[in-house]
Amino acid sequence: MFLRTVLSRLLTTLVTLFGVAVVVFVLVRVAPGNPIAMMLPPGASEDDIAQLTALYGFDKSLVEQFFIWIGGVVQGDFGTSITLRQPVADLVLSRLPATLELSFFALLIAVAIGGVAAVIGARRRGSPTEAAVDLTSGAVLSIPDFLWGLLFVLLFGVLWPVLSISGRLDPRLEFDFLTNFVAIEGLLRGRFDVAGSAFSHMLMPALSLALPLAALIAQLLKQNLKEVLIQDYTTLPRVRGFSETQVILRDAMRNAALPTLTLVGVQFTFLIGGTVIVERLFAYGGLGNMAIDAVINRDLPLIQGIVLLFAALFVAINLLVDLSYTLLNPRLRHG
Amino acid sequence: MTMSSTLNIQNLTVSLRSGLPLLRQVNLTLEPGEVRALVGESGAGKSMIGKAVLGTLPPATRVTRGQIFLRGQALDHLNAAQRRHCVAQSAALIPQDPLTALNPVRRIAPQITDPLTRIHGWSAERAQTRALELLDRVEIRDPARVMRSYPHELSGGMRQRILIAAAFAPSPPLIVADEPTTALDVTVQKQILKLIRELQKEVGTAVLFVTHDMGVVAKISQKVSVLFQGRVMEDSTTEAIFSNPTHPYTRALIAATPSYADPARSFSPVPPELIAQMKSKIAQEEIL
Repeated sequence: MFLRTVLSRLLTTLVTLFGVAVVVFVLVRVAPGNPIAMMLPPGASEDDIAQLTALYGFDKSLVEQFFIWIGGVVQGDFGTSITLRQPVADLVLSRLPATLELSFFALLIAVAIGGVAAVIGARRRGSPTEAAVDLTSGAVLSIPDFLWGLLFVLLFGVLWPVLSISGRLDPRLEFDFLTNFVAIEGLLRGRFDVAGSAFSHMLMPALSLALPLAALIAQLLKQNLKEVLIQDYTTLPRVRGFSETQVILRDAMRNAALPTLTLVGVQFTFLIGGTVIVERLFAYGGLGNMAIDAVINRDLPLIQGIVLLFAALFVAINLLVDLSYTLLNPRLRHG
Repeated sequence: MTMSSTLNIQNLTVSLRSGLPLLRQVNLTLEPGEVRALVGESGAGKSMIGKAVLGTLPPATRVTRGQIFLRGQALDHLNAAQRRHCVAQSAALIPQDPLTALNPVRRIAPQITDPLTRIHGWSAERAQTRALELLDRVEIRDPARVMRSYPHELSGGMRQRILIAAAFAPSPPLIVADEPTTALDVTVQKQILKLIRELQKEVGTAVLFVTHDMGVVAKISQKVSVLFQGRVMEDSTTEAIFSNPTHPYTRALIAATPSYADPARSFSPVPPELIAQMKSKIAQEEIL
């Protein structure tokens, strides 16, 4: 039973990724803009153009091109970047850690802020405090991530310059990285100056990405907590002497987290989508920033690689959400 | 009334925010080890008394008059935390519906032992031993396995037995049993009643037993309070209530109890004239 679920899940994943591959492949080719024209100086001869077109295989039919590309992808060869002249797989994998660190740091901030706000709102339900939580989260939610980014740059980069507004790390730091997970590696290897620099560089972009999600979590989790707190099974612990806060954290939270989790999973994929613009805003060396460059330069193989990786990431996150849902809900565990 | 009473309720009036009274000047005492049944139709306010004692009144209601003494301690003199502590030390609840009373995402073990270790300050081993002992006492086979189970893996009857075990575990002086058998099927009801009665005697707990079933009253209680529209119509010993009911409403309630011996007399409804008469009497007294 379990094996069948996993197998069917894997199969749908493959179909999804293949669909994404087809769509992105066709889209980048029907979109206006010619990568060859971008590479050649003005006034290049017909011959030069034809030669270069043949070199990159753009003279073949669309179907032929697709199967050459997908054949490589299956073997782990995603082609070569036209502008950077390096294998797409290497480029993309070198940037992935930066985006993962940023996204998960943002998720952590969102869950922390949203969770605390939800608990406070539920604890003081019906009071002005709850109204304040509602009002604040509503206001925060109505401002998109990139506007938060601009606001933070203005506040903490220009008016009161306490945080660095670009890059991932202080360039003066000397450290031999084994991976591209600079914050995590700094932490694990005890180089807290490195980790500190990485986190302070991530703080503003992560906060920009996190705030709308935090507001959403605050609203949703508070509502779910309130619904759980009128259930019968929260009466018993109250009679037994547990305080309202204890009842919320020990008895209500896991029940309320379940319906919240599904939505947070979906919203987290949106958050990762948001990294594209926010990374650009803070000149943060992640996938999103690279994606924009790739689009500007019509670097078709690179665009395809990045989009495929994003798609794989989204699928993985959805899988993770489903797994944790089963883990949190004992009623789903056997069946 | 003495200070040794487990529970002493004086002139308790509970009203909705709109002013409509749900309990009207209820007086009631419960001596240590005594079982008192609260009977009446739906909406008579029987559960409301238990909720007022335990501090779980619905948000739309409040105590407008009267006092509750739990083992001599006036509850309205305490702040919220003190009150919670006092109730937790002196009282426990056997809830009405075992299917919704247990937390669906937590195992049984912590749901029994958490209050023992965290509120009563017991050691984990002592709480565990006590829980297993009581689960065994309420005739649950393989208590160790049940402790590891989740509520959805157990039947309604088993869950109610677990809730009974959990209520008796700290040997509280008072237990409020809020219609503990209504949600169960008839065959299980009898066993549950028997268990509550036996444990009550063993532990020496006083029980406030909320029910609408006169048959249950006869089996379990020594004292009875008959309620109608939030008012105590009759307060007497169970023996006296059945042998010589003074109030016509009590007589009508007894007559409404099904009887195998005399099926023709079963389910005779409470006469509507009587209800109308009682309502108008209460309304008159309200004005005075």
